[in-house]
Amino acid sequence: MKRTFMNLSRYMSLAAVVLLGLALLPVPAAQALTCSVTPDIIPITLTYHGAQLSISGQSASGDDLIVTVTSEPADTALKYKEKVGGLVWMKKGTLEFKDTPRIYMVYSTDELSRILSAAELNHNLLGYEALRTHIRIEDSDGNPADAKWFDEYLKFKKEEKVYDIQEGRVVRQHGEEGNTFQVDVDWPYQAPPGVYTVEVLAARDGKMVDRSSTTFEVKSVGITAFLSKMAFDQAGLYGIMAVVVALFAGLAVGAIFKKGGGSH
Amino acid sequence: MYMYLPIALTSVNYLVVMGLGLGVGLLSGLFGVGGGFLMTPLLMMIGIPPTIAAATDANQIVAASASGTFSHWRLGNVDFKMGFYLLIGGFFGGAGGVQVIKILRATGGADFMIKMTYVIMLGLVGSFMFVESLHAMRKTKKVTTTTDQVSSPKKKKRGFFAALPMQIYFEKSGVTHSAIVPLVLGTFVGVLAAIMGVGGGFLMVPVMIYMLRMPMHVVVGTSLFQILFTCIEVTYLQAYSNHTVDFMLALLLLVGSVFGAQIGTVLGKKLHGEQLKILLSIIVLAVTVKIVLELVMEPSILLSYAGGH
Repeated sequence: MKRTFMNLSRYMSLAAVVLLGLALLPVPAAQALTCSVTPDIIPITLTYHGAQLSISGQSASGDDLIVTVTSEPADTALKYKEKVGGLVWMKKGTLEFKDTPRIYMVYSTDELSRILSAAELNHNLLGYEALRTHIRIEDSDGNPADAKWFDEYLKFKKEEKVYDIQEGRVVRQHGEEGNTFQVDVDWPYQAPPGVYTVEVLAARDGKMVDRSSTTFEVKSVGITAFLSKMAFDQAGLYGIMAVVVALFAGLAVGAIFKKGGGSH
Repeated sequence: MYMYLPIALTSVNYLVVMGLGLGVGLLSGLFGVGGGFLMTPLLMMIGIPPTIAAATDANQIVAASASGTFSHWRLGNVDFKMGFYLLIGGFFGGAGGVQVIKILRATGGADFMIKMTYVIMLGLVGSFMFVESLHAMRKTKKVTTTTDQVSSPKKKKRGFFAALPMQIYFEKSGVTHSAIVPLVLGTFVGVLAAIMGVGGGFLMVPVMIYMLRMPMHVVVGTSLFQILFTCIEVTYLQAYSNHTVDFMLALLLLVGSVFGAQIGTVLGKKLHGEQLKILLSIIVLAVTVKIVLELVMEPSILLSYAGGH
């Protein structure tokens, strides 16, 4: 009897060790969130007309995902038009849009409002309504401007293709590598050179549970880089070059045409 | 098909841009105007920021007007003496105009005044030229039926101008004026051009035709000669102080415009002075109507980048 009891306690401690070991092993369900972007450098060449970005990574199964592509927030000054004298539309002044990202792209596995609560969306600057409460608009005297200008700002940025929200665009897959996600992004050529941040947020039961981010760079190369650098660093020489090339081209074509025929 | 512009930071279809250059260059060779009043808004339509559109257009006009001046010079159609006096006047006028703008900007409401000046000047010049050349064409028709001698009624109504000192004979144009006249007129156009932010070709051409009484073909060549120098100055200053000249965009435009200017010059030889005048007046009036419509109709987007007209 005593022996049986000892055997049982041995088995139990063995089971405890096995259970502990199992608990310490990574559980597939709690897969860590990762994120990567290809390519991580977009070169602006002479024939550049935007690019295709692929954002992918691994995530825990069942989590909803929100992928954002943004730039460092900055202040943007824009001219605004208003009706003058009840008749003509004129540029009336400048509005300063404070703390605005130059690029704002959001992709998700579901509708944003179903993934996170309004407070969470606001806190993480997700969705146009969150931006609306975040961006301050001031006139040239520093007074807050009418809220309608946010709608105009959005229209302006969407027209430039640099602000975009597509809900349900992120695709999830369950394969050998676990749970993966992927989203293809049409990168607009209107986005200026710079470093951009890609971030993926995982949400469960209306709450954010994990986040992961990476960056990629859009940069001028070759003749594009050479010219934009020269225009600022050697402005005088650049101006002379522009004039001389234009003069030479004009005179050369004038001379060639004359030889070709058509005298008076 | 696409080319990325390093200063404008945008991508354009180069065939479209070269086509624009060809079209505006043609007008340049034909009428002696730079065409900035057409080119700048067209460039803005394809997504070029306003300040870069205006500065790069000046660079492109250097090529078109060099090409046009060269062929008009070969045809004996450039009055260098007259061009020189107008140029001096224009230089001081331009500098003065820039100061006027500064004062207006400081007092506020400048943009409204600039826009109105633009519309009124375009409208007046266009209507006057249209009516006058229509009149002249009818008269010419009647005259040719009775006599072969076709000449414009010049050398009259010069009372005040003739009384001024420093009378000079301009051989190429076949007119005598006091040196003060082209200097003052050049200054006047320079001031207006600077206020409106345009080269002023469409103002200078009518001034040469109606006030200096120069023959239409010499007007075109001389105007181009003058525009060439103005645009060299503008290109350099814009590149140097504002960094707004996009060399790639200018190259694409000038590839089209230098050929356009040549075609315009050849075409111009086949047309009568009155026909040229009436065509130019129609273009000027069309641009006026377009600007008026833009002013009156609600824009689809109420925000824009700074700069431009």
